[in-house]
Amino acid sequence: MRIALHNLSFAYDADSYPAGMVIKDFMGSFMAGAFYSVIGPNGSGKTTLLDLIFGFLKPISGLIEIDGTPVVSLSKKALAKAVSIASQDHAVNFPFNVKEIVVMGRHPYIPRFSPPSAKDIQTAEEKMDLCGITHLQDRKINELSGGERQRCMFARALCQDTPILLLDEAFSNMDIHHTLQMLQQVKHSVKEKNRLVISVFHDLNLASTWSDDLLVLKKGEVKAFGRSMDVLTEEIIKEVFEVSSIVEYNEYVHAKQVYYPIH
Amino acid sequence: MIFLSLSMWYIRIPLTDIFHIIITKAASPVQDLQAINETHLAVIMDVRLPRILSCAGVGVVLALSGVLFQGILLNPLADPYTLGVSAGAAFGAGIAILLNLGNTLVSVPAFAFAGACLTLFMVIFLSYSAKNPMAGLSSNNLILSGVIVAAILSAGISFLKFIANEQVSVIIFWLMGSFASKTWPNVSIITAFLGAGFFISMFFARDLNLISLGSKSAASLGVDLKTVTLILLLSGSLLAAVCVSISGIIGFVGLLVPHMVRFITGPDNRKLIPLSMLAGAILLLFADTVTRAVLPHEIPIGVLTALTGGPVFCWIFKKNRFK
Repeated sequence: MRIALHNLSFAYDADSYPAGMVIKDFMGSFMAGAFYSVIGPNGSGKTTLLDLIFGFLKPISGLIEIDGTPVVSLSKKALAKAVSIASQDHAVNFPFNVKEIVVMGRHPYIPRFSPPSAKDIQTAEEKMDLCGITHLQDRKINELSGGERQRCMFARALCQDTPILLLDEAFSNMDIHHTLQMLQQVKHSVKEKNRLVISVFHDLNLASTWSDDLLVLKKGEVKAFGRSMDVLTEEIIKEVFEVSSIVEYNEYVHAKQVYYPIH
Repeated sequence: MIFLSLSMWYIRIPLTDIFHIIITKAASPVQDLQAINETHLAVIMDVRLPRILSCAGVGVVLALSGVLFQGILLNPLADPYTLGVSAGAAFGAGIAILLNLGNTLVSVPAFAFAGACLTLFMVIFLSYSAKNPMAGLSSNNLILSGVIVAAILSAGISFLKFIANEQVSVIIFWLMGSFASKTWPNVSIITAFLGAGFFISMFFARDLNLISLGSKSAASLGVDLKTVTLILLLSGSLLAAVCVSISGIIGFVGLLVPHMVRFITGPDNRKLIPLSMLAGAILLLFADTVTRAVLPHEIPIGVLTALTGGPVFCWIFKKNRFK
């Protein structure tokens, strides 16, 4: 699987285009078997980029291709079998229980009027186990904490079993134990199943530790895109986030880490 | 339930006779029915059965429409009239009564239905935006447009009542709802809509479940949000419109039934839809039987459902919220 973006531009208000552009003339590609992280300040277009890739938003100009097929020409079902997303919005409006939510991830594979097959149920149980929510399976989703709910949404996305997985701050409410557990799962599937993962991060150190490549966005423009080792520098952090920092290679985590001073 | 309510009325007919009538009638329509009391035959076949069947049908359809609205608007407080369908139907009916089209009997329901449809299109037109269809059909936009249109129409209805003079009581009585003098054509109309509505909503039941995950997650699972929302919204409103034009405004069934059934089945629409429909039929049939057979005077059924359903709902709401 390969995602290619050609001169991609997007604005929420098409009339004001090109003034209110959220993504500006994006060129680039994402390859299978790699973990990509998107970093950037609030409002830099990170979530918008993911929304464009899974076809939730339509680009104003330019093109997104998955394996050479434009996303807009793929059927909803085909797209749902190719791309899944664990989004930061994890509110559920009716009191479904956890297992029902996770099984919903099998929706693209279950024909209309049919109940989930034994395989669907088995997949759901496996993913619940991976995310450590098996003991919550009969609880109502709206009675869980934010972090537990995020793990349910994560399990639901894994249940969709797609070659491309998008994570939009999917770990923001999880404790460090579960964050690392989820990241371990994702990293494993990238290596073993040749999955393509694009994750939005706010924690630069987690991004640097876990991802192969980093994409740095600011005001919809690409500031840097390449190997995490090369991209993460004191200069780019100063330019994009407007904070001073020290960036060092850390032997213990085998990656660059960022340290911030007290002003 | 149906048989029980068939037997109870001003003229009491034993249950055995009712079975006999219906079975003989169904088995051999041409056969000589002399054995059966002819009054009873007429009462059952021409008066009670159509009334009871249309009552059960309206109950089913109101409950179904309630499930659809609560699911799409992501709001357990939504009901079939949230988008102003009832006000539109009432306005249409009011005009028909005022213009003295009421004598033909077909015209009032037809006007009511037209009024309801016009209101629906007005509400969707107000909230829909071609530029951003997703945000346009959001629950807040729809509810707000419904409230605005309904407010204008309510003023219109008040104006109609004001200029109606002696017909004002006819308008008011029609609005309060009744199943008196329902005929077989009513039954066939409601059954047709019921069948279509049931098929459409079961077809999209799983999509409706997914919509409660939020628009983004639903879209990523392959739900065509715009199409599903529009189809279900249209079906829900048309179903409500049919109910209002057949039997006036019967409140509370569409709000109460899905809510109560959800406590039992959970929010899964594949179970919620059929069970709510069943519960809707039983509830409304019960209410109608009470108004015509138990109470000394027939009171409008809309009044009865709200008067009895309201307190029950208060009790359930309080009990479940703070247990």
